[in-house]
Amino acid sequence: MRISIDVGGTFTDVILVDESTGRFHYAKTPTTHYDLAEGVLNGLQDILNIAGASMEGLRYLIHGTTIGTNAIVEGKGAKVGLLTTEGFEDVLEIRRVARPKEAAFDFEVDNPPPLVPRYLRKGVKERINSKGGVAVPLDEGSLRAAIDTFKRERVEAIVISFLFSFLNPAHELKAAQLSREHYPEALVSLSSEICPEFREYERTCTTVMNGYLGPVIKSYMDNLLKRLNERYGAVRVHIMQSNGGSMTLETARDHSAHLINSGPAGGAMATAFISRLTRHEMAIGADMGGTTFDISIIDKGMPKTTTWGGVTEYPIKLPMVDMKTIGAGGGSIAWIDQGGMLNVGPQSSGSSPGPACYGWGGTLPTVTDANVVVGRLNPSYFLGGKIPLYPDKAREALLKHVAGPMNISLEEAALSIIRIVNANMAKGISGVSVQRGYDLREFILVPFGGAAANHAVDIAEELDIRKIVVPPMAGNFSAVGLAVADVQHDYVRTIAKKQEEVDPAELLNMFRIMEDEGVRQLREENVDEKNIRIEWSADMRYEGQSWELNTPVIKTASLGASELRDVIAAFHALHKQVYSYNEPREHVEFINLRVRAIGKNASLSLPEEPTKPTPLSEGLKEKRPIYFKEKGFVEVPIYERDRFGTGSLIPGPCLIEEQISTTLIPHGWVGEIDKFRNILITPDEQGCDKGGRS
Amino acid sequence: MSNVDAATMQVVRYGLEAIADDMGYNLVRMGRTTIVKEIMDINCAVLDASGGILAQAHLCPLMMFSLPESAASLLNSGMDLEEGDIIICNDPYLGGQHLLDMQFFSPVFYKGELVAFVANIAHQLDMGGSVPGGVAGGLTEIYQEGLRVPFLKLYRRGQEDREHFNIIASNIRIPEKTMEDFRAQAATTVGGVRRVQELVGKYGLETYRQCTEGLLNYGESIMRHAIHAMPDGIYTGVDYIDDDGYSDEPYKVQVNVHIRGDEMKVDFDGSSKQAQGNVNCTWSCSKGAVFYTMVGIVDPYMVVNSGTFRPITVESEEGLITRPRPPGAVTARSQTMTKITEAMLKAMSEVLPKRVVAGSHGQACTCSFTGVQPESGRRFTYVEIQGGGAGARPSKDGPDGQDLHLGRFMNTPVEAAELEYPVTIERYEFIPDSGGAGRSRGGLSLRRDIRFHTDVLWARYSDRQKFSPQGLFGGKEGSRGALILNPGTPQEARQKSKGVSRIKAGDLLSIRLPGSGGYGPPAEREPERVRWDFINGKISRCSAETDYLVSFNADNTVNLEETGRLRVLSEPKTPKERDTESCDHV
Repeated sequence: MRISIDVGGTFTDVILVDESTGRFHYAKTPTTHYDLAEGVLNGLQDILNIAGASMEGLRYLIHGTTIGTNAIVEGKGAKVGLLTTEGFEDVLEIRRVARPKEAAFDFEVDNPPPLVPRYLRKGVKERINSKGGVAVPLDEGSLRAAIDTFKRERVEAIVISFLFSFLNPAHELKAAQLSREHYPEALVSLSSEICPEFREYERTCTTVMNGYLGPVIKSYMDNLLKRLNERYGAVRVHIMQSNGGSMTLETARDHSAHLINSGPAGGAMATAFISRLTRHEMAIGADMGGTTFDISIIDKGMPKTTTWGGVTEYPIKLPMVDMKTIGAGGGSIAWIDQGGMLNVGPQSSGSSPGPACYGWGGTLPTVTDANVVVGRLNPSYFLGGKIPLYPDKAREALLKHVAGPMNISLEEAALSIIRIVNANMAKGISGVSVQRGYDLREFILVPFGGAAANHAVDIAEELDIRKIVVPPMAGNFSAVGLAVADVQHDYVRTIAKKQEEVDPAELLNMFRIMEDEGVRQLREENVDEKNIRIEWSADMRYEGQSWELNTPVIKTASLGASELRDVIAAFHALHKQVYSYNEPREHVEFINLRVRAIGKNASLSLPEEPTKPTPLSEGLKEKRPIYFKEKGFVEVPIYERDRFGTGSLIPGPCLIEEQISTTLIPHGWVGEIDKFRNILITPDEQGCDKGGRS
Repeated sequence: MSNVDAATMQVVRYGLEAIADDMGYNLVRMGRTTIVKEIMDINCAVLDASGGILAQAHLCPLMMFSLPESAASLLNSGMDLEEGDIIICNDPYLGGQHLLDMQFFSPVFYKGELVAFVANIAHQLDMGGSVPGGVAGGLTEIYQEGLRVPFLKLYRRGQEDREHFNIIASNIRIPEKTMEDFRAQAATTVGGVRRVQELVGKYGLETYRQCTEGLLNYGESIMRHAIHAMPDGIYTGVDYIDDDGYSDEPYKVQVNVHIRGDEMKVDFDGSSKQAQGNVNCTWSCSKGAVFYTMVGIVDPYMVVNSGTFRPITVESEEGLITRPRPPGAVTARSQTMTKITEAMLKAMSEVLPKRVVAGSHGQACTCSFTGVQPESGRRFTYVEIQGGGAGARPSKDGPDGQDLHLGRFMNTPVEAAELEYPVTIERYEFIPDSGGAGRSRGGLSLRRDIRFHTDVLWARYSDRQKFSPQGLFGGKEGSRGALILNPGTPQEARQKSKGVSRIKAGDLLSIRLPGSGGYGPPAEREPERVRWDFINGKISRCSAETDYLVSFNADNTVNLEETGRLRVLSEPKTPKERDTESCDHV
């Protein structure tokens, strides 16, 4: 039995998988912001009740939390003291001197403030040179003075980031030792441990993040573990990381920076899971909630990861699932600018006051209101009827702010809002894929989150995507992703050598050191030896480039000249694939070596159901008019998703409702319930709407 | 608006923006050089059949302003255009920036009719000329600056013209990489052409045209509306360039903004004649500086297309530094372009005081160091670009240490520089007191100290060693820049802002960038914010007491009583030439 608990902003989602039967159970309970552990315990108890299970049978418990991301966004992390090489105290605040990318013309926009103010950043006389040698010995006097200041200022965490510490950590280690001796109360983070890579700003920022979040995460974890232990006895808890894998709670205490953005990673893992199940290698995950639209890319059944991610303009140089977020959701507000143009978002009414149709006090028209006006949302079946919608309020908001000023009909106004938000989301997906060198026509689209399935076919049409897979459990999808994730740890060392300078024995040695570290870590986390997988890779580039390409390296016991040639050949091939060219005669540089240590969990599948097509009449709940472009109102059938058996064909135009979301199949498309209860939507080339295929 | 519905127009707009953005992503992905891939000194755009800009990628704003200017010249040139042609141009006198910025244009035909252009522009590593990478002050003719390419068909009906490629490759220093960047730029336009054709096909030419015309009218109406709300009048702003790298004489930039009804005219009467040295500002660049400032002031998130600028007429007499005649040299044009922006902000501060910012570092400090690696014997060129203080804003301090208005760039990490080149960077930090005092403080400037382990040839252009960044509404000036060899030693020597000279192994070059001006009277700044700057070492005690009139207790808390007394009694002094070294820093 496996349980995953995903704590979101509004709801805590829980999934229980019975590994012997493959059955998934799910529960949803309100997130308890005053004490997050309370909601976790509630959810746990709920799911045990629903599944009729007890904690006895628990094999693996995984937890996803946005507490790290929230602490950064709200500026509620710890008070941190930062030790740097003297003369470089300001690197954290200078950043890369670039103003935010969005700020092409905006004089007022700022990068977020440094997480350590200048008076808590202290320089230490010391210097390691670019070959890893000691250029200036560590001056313990300046070090002690700095630690004394930190002690006086009662910092909660000390972060140490010296230049070139990734080549020689001796000075950082000494500084850590002295910090711990003189001020044991502070949590100490070393850049040579958290992020041993070149580029001082990114490394320092990442390590500072670890120190900034450490005390917050630790107190949360301690509280959660204590509460779990009080109720259930000893429980081992895993926690989701931003790289798409998990780690134990104990490990997480020293690696807080790995938890940032772990929430969306769950959605990407679940998208990957669905793409593998349905035998599609390439997929776009599209998570449309109230405020944001999160896009992930699945390549060969796994989410793409990047080491150039971050949170709110703070870079985090750790491998994380590559996600792009744009400001578009059900709550996005429609508004008319001074030039008379209709815009949608990025401002959102969020969950408070919410769309006008919620009747919670919102008066501005949103995407959800537009969906109600054109009939794409059932006012009495929103969240299974838990939230009644008030169509009059939606109409009133649209009339006042859109239809009236533009002098168009209410329905045209609503449809305009929907078309504009769809075009915006399509533009986001197009950019993400082009940026990474993909052709979207090879992809399926996997919509999830409350609002995505209603917009998915429209978006797919814009992008020339020919297949949409609407997964079951779309409302608990991130929790599904947690349940299917493996334990995973990533390690990196900068080597920074030209190919002719690389000694294969040195390479092998560095890989082995990291591998040993990974295996030791996984054993500590109780991973069975036979479930351990190790992957090697190298960040490589052509001489003169300032960006690297992560190239897989085949793990081998004897790394010699010929294996090295293979790695270089693999780099040339990958470069061609990603950047559309390569330069086989150019010198290649090895910049970073990476090891990924994975503790495989038994792979899961959704239960397969025998083919049992349901006649459309049995799925039909009612007929309702829906407003379409150029067609006006058309009476379409409204189906209940759960009534359909595997193999059912459902031609558009229609709406398929379920508790958590609504799927629109427009004219010319057809849905099919597959054996996992996904709805596969494809262009209707057989003429199913005229009774062709069924 | 036109008879096409607003949603369709908006959807077409997103479609055009996606094409421009995706061209940008493709160029970054396929480009070879750091300038293209990491610094992203590039832009991509979709233009209408008359060369007007419809949509551009979210990249370097400066770069896009030359595309419509050059496209108009291309159409005037009478060149035959056919499907699959790709035309290049870097000529500053035909609408380009400087010779390093190569523009690519491709006509888009739909059913045999010219309906649009797609275009991109990228800063190349080298286009020949007297110094690598074109970084040198003091050049006097465009002929010294590199290969000047007027409109040239690099591809005819989809076929690469080998001869043209060969001529260019023979005239530049690193042809392999640059020619591949050219191919990436070409491939990017090919993708863009296909996408525009699909977009036109999807909506039909008639609807597409109504949408694009509607979008231009929409851009125009926003700008008109904004100008209409501004008081009529003539507003003037002035700034100065230290020198042109050839003589030591300063050059004046003056903008005169005439607002009348819903239209605006900007001229440069009163500006200096064009320079002997290469600080002359290309015409498209001068116009770009005006347009940039207006977008920032009116609404930074408004639609930016050629329609947006219809209500603004920019005029300059030929032969001024703002519109040079050939063969004036232009490589260091950014020194003048930044001054036009500064002068525009100053002029507009009378019109919309809450929408402008005080003077920024207002220059682009670009240094290139060429030498031989002691170990391998290989030649290297190390390029350093640094920002400085950004001007204080009406209700926020200026950002400390930032790139410049219009230009986007990133610094080189200390560790990246040292891994690659025989140098040790000994300091990289803010300079306290470099931000002009004000109710909002000016952003601090930066200092970067580089020690060389081998002899190098040092070419550079920078500015603001003689004229300080301006304060606004009672805010003080920011600090000036300096280039100092071996500071604090008997060999200490100030270096000129522009030129080419030698640095010996063992020498240390201290690059000190200009700061920026403050906004509003310093004595109006909340004492607690003054204290916060003081304990963080961003301002000295001396500045806190004399500029801000804040007094501290022994424990560095604010002495409110004494502060109140100081602020009531005395007018703030104006220590124009305050010696910051004498202030006691924390």
